[in-house]
Amino acid sequence: MTSCDNNQQPNQQALAASILAAALLLPGLQVHAETPPANGVISLGYLDYRDSQSGLDRIRVHAPSISVMAPIAGVWSVSGSVVVDDVSGASPRYHTAISGASHMDDNRKAGDASLTRYFDRGTLTVGGAYSTEHDYVSRALSLQGSVESESHNTTWTAGIGHADDRIDPVNHVVTNERKRSTNFLLGVTQVLTTNDIGQLTLTHDEGEGYFSDPYKTFDNRPRSRSESTLLARWNHHIASTGATSRLSYRYYHDSFGVRGHTLGGEYVQPLSQGWSVAPELRLYTQSAASFYYDPIYDARLGAPFPPGYNGSGYMSADQRLSGFGAVTLGLKVSKQLDKLWSVDVKASAYQQRGSWRLFHEGSPGLEALRAQTIQIAVNRQW
Amino acid sequence: MIDAIHRKTFEAMASRCEIKLSAPDALTADVLVRQAIEEVQRIETKYSRYRPDSIVSRINAAAGRSAVECDSETGALMAYADALHGASEGLFDITSGVLRRAWDFRHPQLPKADVLEPLLALVGWHKVDCGSDGVFLQQAGMEIDFGGFGKEYAADRAAALLIDAGVRHGYVNLGGDMRFIGPQMNGRPWSIGIQDPRDPESVMASIPVSQGALTTSGDYERYFELDGERYCHILNPRTGMPVRFWRSVSVLAPMAIAAGSCSTIAMLKQEDGLNFLNASDMAYLAVNDQGQMLYRDI
Repeated sequence: MTSCDNNQQPNQQALAASILAAALLLPGLQVHAETPPANGVISLGYLDYRDSQSGLDRIRVHAPSISVMAPIAGVWSVSGSVVVDDVSGASPRYHTAISGASHMDDNRKAGDASLTRYFDRGTLTVGGAYSTEHDYVSRALSLQGSVESESHNTTWTAGIGHADDRIDPVNHVVTNERKRSTNFLLGVTQVLTTNDIGQLTLTHDEGEGYFSDPYKTFDNRPRSRSESTLLARWNHHIASTGATSRLSYRYYHDSFGVRGHTLGGEYVQPLSQGWSVAPELRLYTQSAASFYYDPIYDARLGAPFPPGYNGSGYMSADQRLSGFGAVTLGLKVSKQLDKLWSVDVKASAYQQRGSWRLFHEGSPGLEALRAQTIQIAVNRQW
Repeated sequence: MIDAIHRKTFEAMASRCEIKLSAPDALTADVLVRQAIEEVQRIETKYSRYRPDSIVSRINAAAGRSAVECDSETGALMAYADALHGASEGLFDITSGVLRRAWDFRHPQLPKADVLEPLLALVGWHKVDCGSDGVFLQQAGMEIDFGGFGKEYAADRAAALLIDAGVRHGYVNLGGDMRFIGPQMNGRPWSIGIQDPRDPESVMASIPVSQGALTTSGDYERYFELDGERYCHILNPRTGMPVRFWRSVSVLAPMAIAAGSCSTIAMLKQEDGLNFLNASDMAYLAVNDQGQMLYRDI
């Protein structure tokens, strides 16, 4: 009897869930884009991203996206977003000193869905995501919960997630490789005064599998990686001017030997007639991975020839694993059109240089990387 | 500029219906309500089995003879019927309407076996072909009908139309199957009463709802009593006999069509309906034959 019931339970669940799934396929019915009560948001965004290195246009991404988040039937909320990117351009070069860019043309399809359950003093969210490129399939599941204190002044958050990636590069350097990672999150948000709110978040990620870049020669990275991040944020509201400042500090540490510090600041100043401006500054510095090697330029053989050998067998010349410093400057201007609609434009410039690394010398031999992003978004709030 | 709640009652699908919506003035409200009612009437005209020119009547009239071509909306509803048949393990079967011929709820009388059996032979979703040439009922005398979810579908469609037109507060109520557009003007949920299945004059519970849909199935709309036993209009497609066990099942779900299907399947599953409701992840309130209330999340 009991064993029969046990067999039946998940089956019943799948059957019941299939009803909602079937209903969603009917024409002309809405479940998402309906009137969320106080704070549903739908935003349509357009992102134009361009980065360049010494005059070469490298990657350009156009990503029209639409995302919705709407509570339904009082106790449930479904949120989902679908993004289809077209990525066309040259892949980042093997050290930026050498030419020989390969052409990249990925068509990425991605979707995610999550279900949030609201309780009196907390939430529970289950999410799933799926993303595929022709050489890469990624699947992820996550579970996150939050609990509020009785006074609503303190919120604790905890989460766990797992991702399973399959890598099948077109050049067949490896076939059917996998990468699995599990991540944990712990956080606390505290209302400090009527004008201050602070947040501390700790995340840890344990990964195993293929971390190398199949499209770079001489790229061999350890098959396991653990990463930890500490993020501290402080938002302060200045009642006299109506402005808000947002300060953040992030420390990153991983088993590849990369240590990073990010200091960020943003200041939002509302002006008259619905306008507001928000300048932003971000400073970043990181140390190189233990197996990162600097490009060496040989007068006769050309450049660079990687010596690579350091006894461990691991090596990479990926710029992202080098030691460098970076600065981001941004400005966002937004205008509230009426009670419901707002438009914002954000321009930002990013520059990274080996010599900008703080505390230590950065990696030599790399050209500065610059990127400019312009983002335009139209938001509607109900 | 916005708004006040306007209310309009009307008759459709043999039920009392009501639409409440927010609009800046009575004229705008009238125009919106008229569009919503037209959508409900469109679905009624297109799918009513009582109208000889409806697509359902044409499919039924051609049973055993030929396939009837149908449009994508009808195809989608047939696909939904197929999903319900699977999800209910065969209990929700849109070919079971023929069994009503054996039951006249105005007279307390059980059907004879020689009446019921030939009708049971006409029931069977597996005898319906949905192909590229349309819908074909393999046996003459077979019938399909969308009565099991047509009203809920119409409520969802009418609400979707109003949402598209910018309405943010209100609901569509088609004979007790309700689809919500949004909360009251002040942001508070609507408080919806659940009818007492044994006392038409009173409400046994109420529930706050802002979003999604609320539907109720019960044994009390059409029934007769014989020898102390209640025989209601929800029939088991395998036996042709009325279901027992639940007096009423109310379900809260994101869409009326899903809520209605779950409450009907729970009724059809009888005792097992509780397992089904618990597995469905939807909020429910059910009253069993002992008058006990079982509920979740409301």
